Amino acid sequence: MYTVHMMLRRLTLAAICAPALLQPAPSRAEPVAEIRVTYSNGQFQPGQVSAPADKPIVIRVKNLDAKAMEFESTSLRVEKVVAAKSEGVLNVRALKPGRYEFYDDFNDKARGALTVQ
Amino acid sequence: MLALCTFASLLGGSSGLARAQDASSWREIETKYIFGFTTGSGIGLEGEKEFTVDSIGRFGKRDGHYAATETKYEFEFTPSQFVQIEFGALGSTHNIGAVSDLDGRNQGAFAGGFAEFRYLALERTSNNPLSVTLAFEPNVRLIDETSGARVHNYEFETTINADVELLRNRLYAGFNMLYEPEVTWTATDQTMREATFGGSAALSVRLAPNVLVGGELWYLRHYDSPALSAFTGDALMAGPTLYVQFTPKMFMAAAWNTQLWGREVGNPLPLNLAEFQRHRAKVKFAYEF
Repeated sequence: MYTVHMMLRRLTLAAICAPALLQPAPSRAEPVAEIRVTYSNGQFQPGQVSAPADKPIVIRVKNLDAKAMEFESTSLRVEKVVAAKSEGVLNVRALKPGRYEFYDDFNDKARGALTVQ
Repeated sequence: MLALCTFASLLGGSSGLARAQDASSWREIETKYIFGFTTGSGIGLEGEKEFTVDSIGRFGKRDGHYAATETKYEFEFTPSQFVQIEFGALGSTHNIGAVSDLDGRNQGAFAGGFAEFRYLALERTSNNPLSVTLAFEPNVRLIDETSGARVHNYEFETTINADVELLRNRLYAGFNMLYEPEVTWTATDQTMREATFGGSAALSVRLAPNVLVGGELWYLRHYDSPALSAFTGDALMAGPTLYVQFTPKMFMAAAWNTQLWGREVGNPLPLNLAEFQRHRAKVKFAYEF
């Protein structure tokens, strides 16, 4: 019984470590595409941005408004609260071609989209 | 199902009904909890944290009265754009009386703990409607789920969670494959090894930006062996599902399944009420932060 308990503990530990092994290893030398978006008067500027496929992306969101906003995207799988009059940086994985919508989670009218091609 | 739809339309309001809305302007939705007992492929957003209370109730055996619940008090977070981790404590209640092969009891107890690891294997894009996640959930229980007796139980739930966006922002189909081996040591030092294997299919329609209703069908097989070599019975369950997003950071999900068909090996009576139950219900509340 003791041996079985030990085996179960080891299995659990292995399961905890497994997701880390499944992740693609980041490469420091990998070129990164940078996107700059400004948030002003409750709107993204520009509202439509583009990026190349299969390259990691850095999105810089500059909030010029006097209140915080939350950059969020279900398909990009990122979110970040950007305080008033400040900049937030989001690192996004290399994407497949397609359209990825984003929005301000605090303001339903603020929408934008990233086109990857 | 009718009651759920009525409730959903009340929540959505008259302007929230499907025919009156243009779904293309709705935000994309996280699919993990929109299919009831069937789990969608969603893993959340990187950096997102969530606290949830998730209760599952099981009701009805062959005779007597039987009601058991298990509640997960769960912390969930998404450390990367491919992985989600959850862990928490389990609480259970058992109200059993005059059920054959089960001791009568009326109790509530701390029941154990669990963790879940989810890996997004295939992601949905605007060009690919299919998304697939692999999930592994070890559970440690001190209280037997069915009988409420004190035990040491180790369960390793392994699932494939897939979903397809059939109509953009409007209609989703979900599919699960389940393999759940477990080993239990009873208070009398008996060892029991068993496994559940099966799958589900679900449909969920978005009536309003914040309300989805649907239905699901589960087929489960039970074995007295983790290697699936000693079949003891199977069951088919179906029922309605509901998902309501109260605010961008708060939602609830609910589902009800009834056993439509089942069989126990060596028992000619209809339904499988030895390993499964007549009805099961699920209610989940979540708060993201």
